[in-house]
Amino acid sequence: MYAVETPPAPVQESPRPPVTRRRKRGTGKALPWLLAGPALALLAALLAYPMGRMIVLSFQDYGLKQLWSGATAPFAGLENYLDVLTDSAFWAVVRRTILFTAVSVLLTVLIGLGVALLMRRVGKTVRLMMIVAMMFVWALPALVQAQVFKMMTDSDVGVLNYLIDKLPGVDFQNHSWFFTPTQGWIVITSCVVWAGVPFLAITLNAGLTQVPKELLEAATVDGANAWQSFRAIIVPILKPLLVIVTTLSVIWNFGLFTQNWVMRDGKPEPEFQTLATYSYVQAFAQNKYGLGSAISVITVLLLLGAMAIYIRQMFKIGEVD
Amino acid sequence: MAADQGTLTVGRSRIGTFFANFGGVVFSIVMFFPVYWVLVTSFKPQTEWSSFTPTFIPEAPTLDNFTSAFNAPNFKASLVNGIVVTAVAVLFSLIIGFLAALAVARFRFYGRRAIILVVLAVQLVPFVALLIPIFLMLQSAELTGDSIIGVTLVYVVLLLPYTVWTLRGFIAGIPRELDEAAMIDGCTRAQVFWRVILPLTGPGLVATSVYGFIQAWNEFIIINTLNDPEHQNLMAWLMQNQTSRGTYWGPLMAGAIITSIPVVIFFLAVQRNIASGLTAGAVKG
Repeated sequence: MYAVETPPAPVQESPRPPVTRRRKRGTGKALPWLLAGPALALLAALLAYPMGRMIVLSFQDYGLKQLWSGATAPFAGLENYLDVLTDSAFWAVVRRTILFTAVSVLLTVLIGLGVALLMRRVGKTVRLMMIVAMMFVWALPALVQAQVFKMMTDSDVGVLNYLIDKLPGVDFQNHSWFFTPTQGWIVITSCVVWAGVPFLAITLNAGLTQVPKELLEAATVDGANAWQSFRAIIVPILKPLLVIVTTLSVIWNFGLFTQNWVMRDGKPEPEFQTLATYSYVQAFAQNKYGLGSAISVITVLLLLGAMAIYIRQMFKIGEVD
Repeated sequence: MAADQGTLTVGRSRIGTFFANFGGVVFSIVMFFPVYWVLVTSFKPQTEWSSFTPTFIPEAPTLDNFTSAFNAPNFKASLVNGIVVTAVAVLFSLIIGFLAALAVARFRFYGRRAIILVVLAVQLVPFVALLIPIFLMLQSAELTGDSIIGVTLVYVVLLLPYTVWTLRGFIAGIPRELDEAAMIDGCTRAQVFWRVILPLTGPGLVATSVYGFIQAWNEFIIINTLNDPEHQNLMAWLMQNQTSRGTYWGPLMAGAIITSIPVVIFFLAVQRNIASGLTAGAVKG
């Protein structure tokens, strides 16, 4: 059902003379490279080359002077890396990014799976309601998603403060959610999870329709309870899908930029920096392009380490095709 | 029972179903509330959106916020610029990506697997990480600031991997026998392309270009880094609005609606294909 491919048309017998094929061989060799050529050239120019340049930059002292004059940046050796790795602020950012990724991905996957299961259990009308609500959330641009959460948690006019204030004995008038990092990160995480659940729930719900009903009925007849059926039947069937959606969530959330950037008005305080914003600020606000590149290199390496499983899966796909 | 066909029959009871439906309704309301809040705030007069006690349905609905958004600095320039950059980037990534997809899906050649791997692998690299070298490159080539060529090129590359990968799936879905039948009937390779593959990939091209449109339209970090405020897109304009006018929520939400409408409509039109495209790897593997 995920496959984009249309079902193959019935193959009809068409014994074709092999002669026409042989003739094509000569031109056939260069043709695929001609077709793929423009794409490869662009990827080389704007992906491969910058990637190499980023690594070189991370060993250079590249600042404003080089930016304006175009002069060659002096070689800095490992200085950028030493600066970064001995900076306690950097390690705080690393810890925060990893913690945020772990918590937000765990919550998104668990809630997404829960909602997908719930969607199988509710009536038709309620299911349609859930799908419509999730579609609208999913369709909103990330910038707008972040702005709404910023507005709802605004200290003066935020609807959240108003609602909490309604609780007996609680005074939440003018409560500032971004005064302490913990509360601020609760808001950011809620926004990311809220925005991420629709993709997970709708994808996993589609995956659940693949679970054969007979299997579940047979398990019930054999005396399995709901949890046992879930563990022994549903999870194994969903596993490939779960791996891929979890991986995608890790990639997206590890690179968190938009939400904390927007909620802190484009100037995140140190407590609200993630690796992506941190390297961006070092480069574009502080004009330390070499240092920013070193942080980016470390970010990519961390992500690649975490993605080892996914990369193996990719190689498998490459083999199958 | 017959009414909920397709539902799991594990441990169901009437009370359980009631609670499930109740939970589903609560979930829908919680999910939808922020979307609703954008909508109602944009129609509220200042007295309502700036008060601590909110009105859940605007008491004196007004269109002032929209007028204010339209008249905010750079709106028209950003609108035009955003449309041009997005359209050109989508068009180029579609043409270039389609040719590459054709090569990967229809030819067996040395290096084919390497291309597939490159296309999949580049999606792993967070683009913000590459922004520093790209900025320096385009800056020295004078394609930034008041030129939109640089950012358009970046968007083409941003969209390319997904485009190649999805179109590859669509082309691979066309039975080879069709190509062969056409060739027996005397078609050349080029004619097979124009008369068989291109028409049959039509829906795939539409879905892919819409997804590309959404990606490019929603982007604001790259364009904000590369270009002057007068040469950015609507999404970057919305971000400028937030930082320059602060908690001016009514007009800001009106601006959010104006910038979101095209993507929301397009998204709802092709969402089925987006989900399948993103998880394509899971099925193939």
